[in-house]
Amino acid sequence: MILLIVWPAAGLSPYWAHQILIETFLFGIAAASLIFLSAYGGMVSLGQSALFAIAGVTLGNLATKGGPGGTSKGLHLGWDPTVALILALVITTAIALLFGAVSSRSAGIYFLMITLTYSVIVNLTLGQVTKISGFSGIGGINRYTPGWIGDIIDHPNRLYYIALGTAVVVYVLIRYIVRTPFGLTLQGVRDEPIRMASLGYNVALHRTLAFGFAGFLASLAGILYVWWSGQIAPGNVDLGQTVNLLVMAVIGGLVRIEGAWLGAFAFILMDNYITSNTHIPGLGFGGTLFGGSFNTIIGVIFLVIVLVSPDGLLGLWGRLFGTRRPWQWRRPPAAEAPEPAQ
Amino acid sequence: MSAYFTWRRLPFVLAIGVVVFAVAYVLFIATLPAQFGVGNWRTTTFGSAVHDPSNFLKIALDSITFAAALFIVASGFALIFGLMRAVNMAHGSFYLLAGYIAYEVQQGMTGQGFSLQSSDVNTWEWLLPLVVAAPCIAVVGLVVQQAFLRWNQGQELRQALITIAISVIVADQIIAHFPRNTSQGQRFGGNAVDLTWPGWTDRFVDLHIGGVQYSLARLVMLGIGVAVGVGLWVWLYRTKTGMVIRAGVDDEQMTSALGINIQRTFAIAFVVGSALAALGAVVWASQSNISSGQDGVWLLNSLVVVIVGGMGSIFGAAAGAILFAFVSNFGASYLPTTGSDCCTQYSSILTFVLIALVLAFRPRGLFGRGN
Amino acid sequence: MRRFTLRSWRTAAALLVASAAVAVWATGSVASSHAAKPVRVAIMTDCKGAFAFGYDFDIGGAQAAFAKLAGGKTKNKNKPSAGMTGITVAGTPVQIVGYGCGNDTVPVAVTETKRLMEQLKADVMVGPLSGDEAVYVANYAKTHPTKTFIIGTAGSQDPTMQIHPKNLFRYHGDGAQWNAGIGEIAFKKLKWKNAAIMMDDYSFGWTSAAGMIADFCAVGGNIVKRVFPPLNTTDYSAFVRQLPPPNQVDGYFSAVGGTGTAAMLKAFEQAYGKLDPNQWIGNLFFGFLGADKVVAPKLVGSYVGGAGTGPGLKLAKTQAYENYLKGLYPKLPPDDLFVYNYYQAGAALVMGLQKSGGAVGAKLQASMPRAIPGAFQISNGGLVKLDARNQAIQDQYQLQLVKNSDGSVGPQVVAYVPAVDQSFGGLFKPTSPPPGRTQPACKKVKTPWQGKVKVMQGGKITNQVIK
Repeated sequence: MILLIVWPAAGLSPYWAHQILIETFLFGIAAASLIFLSAYGGMVSLGQSALFAIAGVTLGNLATKGGPGGTSKGLHLGWDPTVALILALVITTAIALLFGAVSSRSAGIYFLMITLTYSVIVNLTLGQVTKISGFSGIGGINRYTPGWIGDIIDHPNRLYYIALGTAVVVYVLIRYIVRTPFGLTLQGVRDEPIRMASLGYNVALHRTLAFGFAGFLASLAGILYVWWSGQIAPGNVDLGQTVNLLVMAVIGGLVRIEGAWLGAFAFILMDNYITSNTHIPGLGFGGTLFGGSFNTIIGVIFLVIVLVSPDGLLGLWGRLFGTRRPWQWRRPPAAEAPEPAQ
Repeated sequence: MSAYFTWRRLPFVLAIGVVVFAVAYVLFIATLPAQFGVGNWRTTTFGSAVHDPSNFLKIALDSITFAAALFIVASGFALIFGLMRAVNMAHGSFYLLAGYIAYEVQQGMTGQGFSLQSSDVNTWEWLLPLVVAAPCIAVVGLVVQQAFLRWNQGQELRQALITIAISVIVADQIIAHFPRNTSQGQRFGGNAVDLTWPGWTDRFVDLHIGGVQYSLARLVMLGIGVAVGVGLWVWLYRTKTGMVIRAGVDDEQMTSALGINIQRTFAIAFVVGSALAALGAVVWASQSNISSGQDGVWLLNSLVVVIVGGMGSIFGAAAGAILFAFVSNFGASYLPTTGSDCCTQYSSILTFVLIALVLAFRPRGLFGRGN
Repeated sequence: MRRFTLRSWRTAAALLVASAAVAVWATGSVASSHAAKPVRVAIMTDCKGAFAFGYDFDIGGAQAAFAKLAGGKTKNKNKPSAGMTGITVAGTPVQIVGYGCGNDTVPVAVTETKRLMEQLKADVMVGPLSGDEAVYVANYAKTHPTKTFIIGTAGSQDPTMQIHPKNLFRYHGDGAQWNAGIGEIAFKKLKWKNAAIMMDDYSFGWTSAAGMIADFCAVGGNIVKRVFPPLNTTDYSAFVRQLPPPNQVDGYFSAVGGTGTAAMLKAFEQAYGKLDPNQWIGNLFFGFLGADKVVAPKLVGSYVGGAGTGPGLKLAKTQAYENYLKGLYPKLPPDDLFVYNYYQAGAALVMGLQKSGGAVGAKLQASMPRAIPGAFQISNGGLVKLDARNQAIQDQYQLQLVKNSDGSVGPQVVAYVPAVDQSFGGLFKPTSPPPGRTQPACKKVKTPWQGKVKVMQGGKITNQVIK
């Protein structure tokens, strides 16, 4: 932790601080929202990238300005970035609550699919509704940051600390939430939805609220992403990116919140260093494995990770060093919320 | 009355209302715009079905034939998903690989090195690529199932992730090796190529309804889809293997307890499911084309069809395919044209919104059995 | 925070140690290669998705320029992406630090651009390949003024017209410029008055269509219907039926690209019967990028919009360029737009470095050539010139699909359009909206090349104008 705080200040490897680690923090937040839903709500969601993108697009439309020197796409409302930031979080959370309500009766693999549908809807909407985004998305959003943050392009350390701080806050917040009465009820709903319903708890409401909270977390990640990359586009919520988020969460382990950042870190490292590695013979530029490129190697490594370690890197760690019982991979709860009385 | 209409039912009533309105819109309300670029909520590309029955019929035929192609690909996915609860995320990659294999075979037989005219292709030159591609992909499916999925049975998410990893590898290998058949030694890895329907399909059939002439190739596609559906139905409902499979869908543990080799059944399902992906690829590559990147598109198509229909049911897959095809094609044809850049291109969004709504009301899909 | 136990601390500690180790290794390897202070060049292209085949084409094109003008030695003549060594300009070594691997979507372009420019510390980027990637790269260029960007083949208008960073250069025409003259051919040679257009619903589709529309309307044609199917449309039948039937319009322009072209044309055939080559004009996706094998055989005789290259042009310098490329990378098609446009970008970079004495940053940007020779360029003394927005003013060649002697079908030059600039006679301005579904409107304007489109015969330009 201390190392993470002093690292960029000491000027060590700006690429690491400003790209790999910021990316790790923000995708870790998005993966954490997924792990929160999965570990405490029993809902594995593919909709987090949709909420991630909604937050980014909302901010992009509200904060950017058009005209010379501005961006060429979006509504260009040019509002105060702080207002835009708050609105982006609020709107995304509201949409997350709506999404959560619609899917609150689904469970297991069906929950996975209906949330995938959300991502597809957002992807197509951004791609087709050219007024708010269009296929190439909105660019240059990182030029419009709130005054109290200042210029993050010339001072990327600021963004680093904001991302780090947000990640820590998200971690602490999730740890706190799951120990509140709401969090405990949610875990009850995860394990025994029918029993909880007969005890008088509103199962659908708890699921909806959990999804809304996770949506809020994903929106934080989305905001950090547009500040980091400057843009948001439908491609951010295409099938590949949506699945990538799940992959990060699974590499991390899907059971412990801190696994989110570990998973994101491992994924981003893999993506960056395998693609540009020139040191390992046969792996370099145009290096071959059965004639394929480094994408084959990324696929093989990913395959090995999911094969040898069902509970992700954290589980692997636990088994290697015996600090923790191997976590049993279990099916999502088979039972689902009772059908409303007809 | 009040017992019949409660606030709880309001969303359901609203949904019915929207469907009724959509049907009425297509049938009666839609009108042709006076001129291009202007219009209101009533103006569409074709006008209403009452005014323009022949276009309506053509679009309906387009939809049902497209649904047939969707069904062929998705039924394989449904078989695997329904029996093993395994989401085979490599289904799209199997589809793509089959399409390229079939292309190589067809090019090898006709020896051209580039796209063919229908008249250059006879029935045999279309069938042999299929006969080669389907077993190839069946073997690939079998290997994937035996090597990677067999010992993870019941771990749905892990199986999904394993097949995602496989799809990444297959996608890259396709770019590295296909299309192989090139005329001047220039390799366009993963470039769009197409198969060609046999020559006799390249004509129009007079349907004797409203003077509609319709493409025979598309009707053949519909026929193949129906044949696949009937074949699957006979297999699953009229043979012993099919009964074992259906028993496995309902209660895997009980079925094994009865002394049935469920692993063998799983392997059969995977083989047939993969071969159906290959059949679908050959059909749709003849109808349109295949290229790198379409693996994701067809994975999504299959997912949607199966999820909307309800898992493990071939009727569900058929219903899902029909719903998907009709909404996307009718959306593209009958959404209002209120100005020159609205709104037919929103049909794909509409399709997925509808799918989300179906799942909201019926979390296990149209034909899924809830508990 | 009771649960914040030793276990999670140990995990965190392990993570940090591991990351620190990798970081030290990463910084170490970067530091060691910094000793000679070479110019660090990255080539941004695609290796996944629909344009994955462009990977070796783009890399080969750019590296061919380095080989010809800066002494580069190729490692594997059959696989350009195997790398190139020994590039030296003005006594300064040039190192190719990495190849970008996009997939035609923006988010992947983001991570790849950052990887190339920040992890691999490239000073110059040659690329990217496609329009939307270039929109992102242009925005990125704006915030990284010390780096230099030379677009590879991206055809969207926005990067130079609307976004216009000072450190971004494009030595080829945008998608609209590539189609200049094709409307005049349709109007005069094919006698089209009313045409419909089908375009991909994204920036390259719109820009490419904008060129056709602007050129066709400029001479008096009329666009009666614009249809824009979304990318990745599976079944084109519903969109094809929105086009007016063949007996109600004179012809169709197509700006449907890559993966969709054959699917769209087949859907058209199934809706309206055989394609009439005289009723179809396509953009480059009818004749390039492997389309010669898929689409072209259906449309022998159709006119096709170019992409800055002139396949079949018989000029000494064209043949010298083609022969050089054939010798260096025998598997690359020299007339392909990917190969040629990346070659031009690489050549411009070498010229810029020669003038700056190997310096990068602002000095290189100031030294980037305002005009470079082009293998297909005739007007302006054979030089492709840049306008005030660092956008090329380039000759264009319009093509026709012809059957070759070996039975294959490919594009051949039929018309020469001199010195095409980005503005289309003032139709496109930085303040005007970028090309879109309804942009530009159909307007009769005077383009600089109007009435100057020359007929070509046997690969030679005649004095005759298109009538």
